[in-house]
Amino acid sequence: MDHPPIPVTVLTGFLGSGKTTLLNRILSERHGRKLAVIENEFGEVGVDNQLVIQSEEELFEMNNGCICCSVRGDLIRILGRLLKRKDRLDGILIETTGLANPAPVAQTFFTDDEMRRNFRLDGIVTVVDAKHVAAHLDADDESVKQIAFADVILLNKTDLVAPAALAALEKRVRGINAVASVTRTRNCDVPLDRVLDIGGFNLGRATELDPKFLEAEYPFEWAGAYPLPAGRHELVIGHGPGEEHDHDHAHEGGDHHHHHHHGNENELDLAVLPLPALDEQAVGAVRDTAVPLFADWENRVKPGEAVTAGSRLHRLLLDDGHAAFPLEIAQPGLFLVFEGCGEEPLHIRVAGETVKPVWQADYHAAHEHSAAVSSVGIQQPGELDGKRLNEWISTLLQVQGNDIYRMKGVLNVKGAAKRLVFQGIHMLFDAKFDRDWGAEPRVNTLVFIGKNLNRAALNEAFRGCLAT
Amino acid sequence: MQLTKHWVAQLEDYAIDLAWSPDGSLLAAASASGPIGLYGAAEGGRRHELPGHEGGANAVAWRPGTLVLASGGQDGAVKFWDAAAGQHVATAALGRAWVEHLAWRPGPGAPLLGAAAGRKFVFLAPDASLRHEFRDAPKTITALAWHPQGGCAAVAYFGGVCLWDADDMRAQKEYAYGNGIHALAWSPDGRWLVSGNQDPSVHLWMPETDVELQMSGYETKVRHLSFDPASRWLATSGSQDACVWDCTGAGPEGREPVMLPHAAAVCAAAFQNAHGLLATASQDGAVMLWSPERPQPMRATVKMPAPAARLAWSPDDRQLAIGTEQGVVYVLRCER
Repeated sequence: MDHPPIPVTVLTGFLGSGKTTLLNRILSERHGRKLAVIENEFGEVGVDNQLVIQSEEELFEMNNGCICCSVRGDLIRILGRLLKRKDRLDGILIETTGLANPAPVAQTFFTDDEMRRNFRLDGIVTVVDAKHVAAHLDADDESVKQIAFADVILLNKTDLVAPAALAALEKRVRGINAVASVTRTRNCDVPLDRVLDIGGFNLGRATELDPKFLEAEYPFEWAGAYPLPAGRHELVIGHGPGEEHDHDHAHEGGDHHHHHHHGNENELDLAVLPLPALDEQAVGAVRDTAVPLFADWENRVKPGEAVTAGSRLHRLLLDDGHAAFPLEIAQPGLFLVFEGCGEEPLHIRVAGETVKPVWQADYHAAHEHSAAVSSVGIQQPGELDGKRLNEWISTLLQVQGNDIYRMKGVLNVKGAAKRLVFQGIHMLFDAKFDRDWGAEPRVNTLVFIGKNLNRAALNEAFRGCLAT
Repeated sequence: MQLTKHWVAQLEDYAIDLAWSPDGSLLAAASASGPIGLYGAAEGGRRHELPGHEGGANAVAWRPGTLVLASGGQDGAVKFWDAAAGQHVATAALGRAWVEHLAWRPGPGAPLLGAAAGRKFVFLAPDASLRHEFRDAPKTITALAWHPQGGCAAVAYFGGVCLWDADDMRAQKEYAYGNGIHALAWSPDGRWLVSGNQDPSVHLWMPETDVELQMSGYETKVRHLSFDPASRWLATSGSQDACVWDCTGAGPEGREPVMLPHAAAVCAAAFQNAHGLLATASQDGAVMLWSPERPQPMRATVKMPAPAARLAWSPDDRQLAIGTEQGVVYVLRCER
């Protein structure tokens, strides 16, 4: 009597994002498969010979109104009824209303053993209207949550958006959810194997994380390497009034839109350190010496006063976001320039000519992880102590479950030949040993997506769970 | 004691509900997406096939003392059928929500059919006319049970139970319960109202005194409840054993339940109408008969090819109908 669980795909996205287009594409392209569609009450899918059920959202608050313990009662009923069909379904698609919080939908699949046995939440697909989403991201929580919960994000209607704005949007989406796959589409024209049977919820992809997302936090946001001759050059911050926008500007993207300036807008922390060679090792070493420097006593530098290379933190005083400073270089060579705020346009001019950086990098800055929704990834080898891990996760979810939207992990537990795979939504949590590690390197991978995530604290607590 | 095969019928789909006609002559069997079959109790011949509901039927209920069958379905309708003629008689359209629960008023009062569709609860007259529409429940109604004397109907929803008076249509009681409710049952003497819950537990109310008891320790949600005709034993699903509570006196609190072991999760339980045998079924297809009061309670066991979705005793308690998930209806004779 035991069947494999039926895969379920949840489609979220604001009204007009293209959700229904995607749904119709799935139904027409996968017409050979028996799919059931559970539409919201405003749904408008009408493909013949498909099982379409309209459903009015009904929340069951399992724990006195706490959203992290809420499930969708209407889905429980409909899914229960679908199980009683003689012809077994190949898959189920659930379309949520534009304003729906995805948490209760996803949590429904963790309600009890019967749900876990019969259904497998394959993935949450969020369709984003690339033209209009920015306003939503600024204005309401739900669109941020829809992105945060997603396994797959379609940046749709890309034909209506300029490339720079699209790049900025993608960066912003990645800042919220670093784990989801992001695909740019027009009319949701995505190969369906990117959307269906992705095993998103089972962490198929969590081990292929964006490396940047695993990086530690730094007190600076940007660094660039410049070859500079000896002499007195010019360091220019910002654009002066009437000055033409300089397209040689070092920073990519131009994502000024959501820039949260920390501290005084007319101050910029900066350090210039000699770089012995342009290789990973040397950059890493210089970067590490810059970290304590940024916590050091700053030297306030007024426009016109000199900036020097060396172990000295300069706090540049700007005038309406703009200022120029002489940059004094005693010995020629490569220099790494670190900026506390990565959004400030920075130019170095040698004899009036702008010098382009030969290398540059953006860094995660600690302040990014304030109340905003973000992702934290941890990837580390080592064996975990099962008991300590359990205690940590339980406590974490009790204390921070409301803020942790999603959590995934593949873990190497001491004494276990198999991978421990876990996933959670808010406070609901599921862990099981899936398969032998075999030849695969035994690396622990954990991902958190949510609000108020403290990367350093999570990393430290995780290290505390390593078996000694 | 022995269970022997009497007849078998094949439905189109999952047996979603079974009900014996009050005179015991017919068995109504509704399939999840197909029609409603009416089978002769004596030999299993299909007398009529009622077209049922678009999208499928959910529940069937015979009007006491008659051959009128009511059915509720996914089309939001309650339909009335003349079972002798196999004819549709009347329809009450209740809206878009599925009609999931139907029950006729027992006892001497005027005949009323309680019907629940989504959050809506109504009383219908036998001609399908609306007798009363109650205030909407706060959430979708998940269970319905009449008081055995017909004085009120209890409806359950996520968050509680309401007892609607069948004469003045007012709420007699509203009990809060902070979780999902899957089943309701009254003890035949009307002392106890019991819910089977998602959390997983069984909750007992004694409406006369407002005493409440909570029995927990189940493995999974409790979806099936059945009282014996003497109102002593309450059989419950929710684990691999059928768990039977002694409800005499002050109730089961502090008492050890009788545990009737199965080899897989219990998926149905039904006491006889007027006698003391309990039938239970489990996910491995086993159907067992028990006398809970005996030191050796097991009386008979059979293994069906598919798990039972429904168990129904004939009015004379001599036949047990088993509707399976595969849509097969087996009628077994219970013989000494």
